[in-house]
Formats: sequence, structure tokens, C-alpha cells
Amino acid sequence: MFQSAHNATSPTAPFRRPASQVMQLERMGCSHPTRLSFLRTMLRRLHRENWTVDRPVWDVDDTGSGHAVYRTRCGGRTYSLVAFAHDLPDDMRSDRVIATAWDATFTLFDGEPTLADIARLRDNVPIQEAGRISTRELTLARANRSVRLFHHVVDALSQGRQPDPAEIADIGYLMRTTAVYGSGKFGAADRSDIADRPELAAPFQVEMLTVWLIRAFTVDIAEHMAMVKGGNRAISLDRNLRRTLGVGNSTGLGMAPFIVRHPVLLNNWMMAREEALARVRAQAGATQSTIAGLRVALDTTIQNAACWTSRHPVQVPKLADLRTDVRLLSDTVKAWDFDQPHPWDALWRWGQDALSCEGQEALLSVMLEPHGDLVDDLADCMGADEAPSFCINGAMRVSELRAILEQHYGWALSIDFTTPENIARFWYVSEEKLEPRLGERATEDGATLEQPLCIARLAAELDDTLRDRDGDEAVAAILLAHPEHRYVIRRVQIAQNHPYAEVQDNLIAAAMLPIDLLRCKLSFFGATRFDPRSDRWVRINLFQGTPFPDEIGLEGMQ
Amino acid sequence: MTIAPHDQTRGDSAQFIEFGQSASLSRNEVASLCMKAARGAGLSWGLAEEAGFAAEWLVHHGIDGPSHLYAHLDQAQGRAWCDLCPTVTPGEWRAPAGYALCPIALGATLCDYAGLPEGIKVGSSLKIGTVDHPVLLIPFLAGIAVSNDILFDIEWAGGTASLEGGHEALMQAVSVLGGQRVPIKLTARFGKPQAAKGGKALSISAETIAALNSLAMRTTVPSSESSRAGAGSTTTDND
Repeated sequence: MFQSAHNATSPTAPFRRPASQVMQLERMGCSHPTRLSFLRTMLRRLHRENWTVDRPVWDVDDTGSGHAVYRTRCGGRTYSLVAFAHDLPDDMRSDRVIATAWDATFTLFDGEPTLADIARLRDNVPIQEAGRISTRELTLARANRSVRLFHHVVDALSQGRQPDPAEIADIGYLMRTTAVYGSGKFGAADRSDIADRPELAAPFQVEMLTVWLIRAFTVDIAEHMAMVKGGNRAISLDRNLRRTLGVGNSTGLGMAPFIVRHPVLLNNWMMAREEALARVRAQAGATQSTIAGLRVALDTTIQNAACWTSRHPVQVPKLADLRTDVRLLSDTVKAWDFDQPHPWDALWRWGQDALSCEGQEALLSVMLEPHGDLVDDLADCMGADEAPSFCINGAMRVSELRAILEQHYGWALSIDFTTPENIARFWYVSEEKLEPRLGERATEDGATLEQPLCIARLAAELDDTLRDRDGDEAVAAILLAHPEHRYVIRRVQIAQNHPYAEVQDNLIAAAMLPIDLLRCKLSFFGATRFDPRSDRWVRINLFQGTPFPDEIGLEGMQ
Repeated sequence: MTIAPHDQTRGDSAQFIEFGQSASLSRNEVASLCMKAARGAGLSWGLAEEAGFAAEWLVHHGIDGPSHLYAHLDQAQGRAWCDLCPTVTPGEWRAPAGYALCPIALGATLCDYAGLPEGIKVGSSLKIGTVDHPVLLIPFLAGIAVSNDILFDIEWAGGTASLEGGHEALMQAVSVLGGQRVPIKLTARFGKPQAAKGGKALSISAETIAALNSLAMRTTVPSSESSRAGAGSTTTDND
């Protein structure tokens, strides 16, 4: 459905942005969450299908140690978040070389865990990477408190008063996850085992469900500790204040290679979003309700931009641009002539001239927001079965392979890889942490162990090889003579039918910002408050402003 | 206090297996560990992906692909490409002088040439020089079979195996091909291959996991102070 909807003769084709614009890293680094983001997809589904969530087990003692089970029932299936709460002294939290030191650890269990399951999980989940889980588990995660806000909230509630909204707004979460592992990690169920379940078909649904249930736990444990401290004086957190809490997340270089390693998936995410924008732009007119919806979405964006803080030198000017842009956008929309032909397209074109990259991508998000009926079905196209594209077509002729290179990798072939600034970095995996890292080629050892993440250079090297070959030769012969090109040839053949598969930038250039890769991926998750702490790790917020499990059906599920 | 970053930001892409006991690995873990091990043993990245694919396919069908792969990589590691890959001519693919063919290189090349004059096609046979651990060819042949409506027979001095007939035939082929290092003849007949169902979950031995992991670790780089510095937070996690 998706491929045919995206063909060149579709009525939306003239309104689509080209990959040469969309896939530039700087623009990807300005991505905003949209209604197609994965946490939104999950919330819409559980609202639509009337999922129920309860907490059958709360076995936590006065020190804050114990476990809880959050049970989600949907369409005949049950998913249970098993949460282990730990009594972690502050000094353990600061000395993080000890791998057991988290305030809480979690797993999403496929079904309802028995006591034996809980016992098994208690031996493994709290030690995270050092333990093993099974195919009955779908995710493994852990979180640490925001000590300042957690203490503040517990203190206030224990004394019978609500916490200071300004304090909550300043941080935005009680706990911050530091990893949420899915897809077969540490023995968990493989993605392929669960991908055919309708509720899990969209990307990262088990991870999003895990984090959403963790969010409920973070409030429950704070209220529990307030009760322990204040006894009868303690009160529950006000529902409106509670809504403003999300789950924090710290994400670093480890996640950056993901969107490079999954070209078909990246293509499908981007294509769905771009097709959604094209559908909105292609409309001949605008209805009163969508215009009103746009204004509501814009107000939310303005509030979000106002609350969004960062001290990072890259993000500070981008936030200033965004705030200027959304004010300008707001003024422009107030006076906009929605009776003109193709008013949405006209608004988009205005934005392309008037707004910064940040503002343009924010405009995309607010333009999709009132158009759920028009675009939400595209969420079904964002998963990917990557197996078919693994197979290389060896019968393809060299001339055709070169044509694909010229059409889809012109951006890569034009980079001069003989200049030091264009090969300044190299991606590697560290022996110490077994995690992706970025090294400086001129000053650090290890470039001989470079990971194949600089697709631009690999494509340029392939092009060099192909120049000397007969155009009628089969790709199979190239692969036999040059096994070093096998990796990139697979990608080039993928790009032939997946125009948004490649980040069209030099990922080893001196000026490359890894946080741009992170922001793109995180915005597809639905993350807000992107706050870089360096050029290679960020903090974000997930689910801020969305309903809690006891609010399914209330406003905000869409 | 440690001066290393607190690594609040552990990612989701690296996968090494670091424990000293046998375990039932997920398919993702098998593919990832075996890909890294093959790369550590000297295969190109693209071929290392094929090794990961083959091991994962075998495990999914209840066969200990990781142990077969390690047995091959252990004796083939470090060999130049020309001492691993076939010389391709119509009807006959030769092994490198003095060596057995790498089944990963051979399997991938068989896939690449499927549909070309030099490759395997319905109604013909292909003579192939000595192959190391030919059981690792099965995932590649299964792929060609499904795409091209082919039923494969494998013959060698002293034995035959057929990949026709679902899971039972597959297990029979594995039992007779395991541990062989022989020249083979592939015969392709027309027919719809019966998809072999996934097998039972099997436990991979601690020895195999450790051996593959030690090869995989060759793809890693010792950290430097400067690389640690920017990777994650350098402040405490108490804010």
C-alpha cells in the first residue's frame, strides 16, 4: 500500500520534499515529534481499543525496596511491567561504575508473570546487562531518580501539600531511564517473534509501552515514599500536576548508529512523515475544524518552546530561532487566508522562505496535528521487514549500479575524502564499554578497526572501483573480486527503491554533530525537550502532558 | 569517584555476550555476535553480515549454527580472500589451491550468481571444490531454493543429502553434512521447496559463546581518555 501510495504519479507527488532536502543531517537534527511518532501511535491505539491497566501487585517496603506489577490488557493479550524498586543511597548513584546501581529496574513481561517468573526476574532484572532474561520478556530497562525533584515531591506530599509547579516544570520528570533494551537483547524475545501482533507492528511499541508504564511507577513510588514519611498527613499528587511529568531519558552515542544501520526502517519513517506532509499540502482547501486544530497545536508548540531549556551552545541559538519562528508563525496564521487555493501548501511555502530550519520542522509537526483522519493510517507503514532487502541482486549490471549511485549518492560522490576535515573522525566500538564511540583519526589509535558507518566514503570507494569495470559486467563478478564492497553494494541496491534510506551527509567529517542523528531518532519516538549535554549525548522527555494509565479515554490520547 | 563518564547513555546497538555459561540466545544475539566474530576473523563487513545471517537461520531451525561457524572461522581466520573464495566457471567452481572453500563466501557467491550463466540453475549440476563445514551452505541454498523454485541435492564421496522435505530432511542433511570437508556436487531440480519450520530453542554452549566472543572482541578498540570524555555524562547522576 505504502509503496504504491508513494509513487511518482500519486496526486501528492508534487507536494513531497526531495530526499536531498529531508535527509540532510542538519535538518534531521531539527526534527520535532509529530502525531506519527511512536508513543502517539501507541496512545491512540490503547485509547481506540480501550485497553485496561491495573496494578495487581505493589510489594514495596518502607525503604522503597520491593516490586510491583502493572498489568495491561488489550484484545486478548496481557503485557505486564515488572518493576523492581531499589533503596539506592545517593553515593551509589554517583559512583556508576558499579553495574547494579539503579533506583529502579524493569522488564515488560509477555503475559502475566507467576511467582516463579517474578523470582527468576528478581535474580536477573536488577543486574541488567549482567543477567539474562527469556523469550517471555520483551524489554529490559532501568531508571534513576532526578534526586532534586524526587525529594521535593516526596517532601511536599508527605507534609500534605502539593509540590511547586515551577520545580516540576524545571525538570519535568521524577525518573530518567538510562537504557530501554528490546529486540532480543540479553535473551529477550526477538522482534520477529512479536512483529505480527497488530498492537506491536509499529516500531518500538514495546519500548514505548514500557516507558509509559514506568512513568506511572515513578509517581506511585514517590507517593509511597511520601506516605512512609508523612503517614496520615501525606497526600496524592494533584492530577493536573501529574500530567506535566514525563519520563526523562539520557541517550548517547550508542543510539546514533541505529538509523544508519537500518536503512529500510529509516526510509519508512521518513517516507511516512513526508507523505503525511504532502497529503496535508495537497488539500484544495481548509475546514474550520482543521484551522482551529492548527491554532491549538501552535499554542502547544509555543508553550513547549517557552519551557524548553538548554545550555548547550548548539541548542541555545536553535531554541532562540524556534521561539522567534513560532511567534512569527502564530502572527501569520492569525491573518492567514485559508480561502485561497491550496492554503496549506501556501502556508508551507511561506514557512520555507520565512522560517529557520527549526521553525520549518515545527511547522510540519503542527500542520499534521489537526489532520489525523488524513494521515494517521501512515503510522501502519513505519515498520519494516528488513529480510527481503538483505538479498543482493548479483545479476544487476554494473551500469545500473552506477546509475543508482549517480541518482541517489551524488551527495556522497561530491565529497573530497582526501582532505583531513572530511575524514577527521572514525566510528569504533570501545573494548571497555562495548559501545559505539567516535574517535579523532589524526590523534587516536584504532582507525583500522573503523565501523562501516561512513556510507558516503564507502559509496565513493565503490564508485572508484566501478569506473574501471565494464558496464555489462554482473554485480556478482564485482562482489567476487571485491568482497570489501559487499556491505555498501547491499545498501546501494536498497536505496534504489528507498529514497529516504540514507543520511545524506559525511558522518566522519570534523563538523558532524552526532546529536543530530539522536534527535532525528528520538523525535520519531515522540521525545520532547531535547537538551544536548555535549555534541554526543542528550537528555529528553517522553510522555510529558499525556494521560496516565488511569486516564485512558480522557483528553490527550490522540 | 571515578573520572570515567557515568554512561547514563548506554546504547542499543552493541551486542557482545559476556557470561560464562551456556544459554539460549535470541536470533538477534546470534546474528550480532556471529557477524562481529566473522569480522574479527577477517571477513569483510558485508560477508560478516552473511555469516550472521547463516548462523541465525540455522539457530532458528534448531541447528547450532554458531558452533559450526566458529569451527570454520577458527581454522580459516586470517586467510586472504583469494584463499577462501571460489574460482567461478560455468558448471564447475574450484576451491583455492591448498585450501577448502569458506562456506560463507561460497554461499553468498552462489546467491549472487543465481540466475547468471555461471550459477546454479534448474536442471543442472554444479561441481564445487572442497568445502569447509558445508552445513553452513544450507541457509544460502534455502534462500535460492525459495526464490527460484529449486529443490537441491548435495552429493559428495560417501554421501548425499537432500534439502527437500521440510524439517526432517533438513535435520537429516545437517547430521550427514556436519563436520565434513569435501568436494561436493549440487544438483538443482524444479520444484516448490517446502518451507522448513522453525526448530526448538537450543542452548549454545559456553565454549562456543566464549570463542565467538573472543573473535568479536577483535573488532573493538581500547578506549582512550579523550574518547571516554565525550561519550556520556561526566557529572554525577544526582541532579
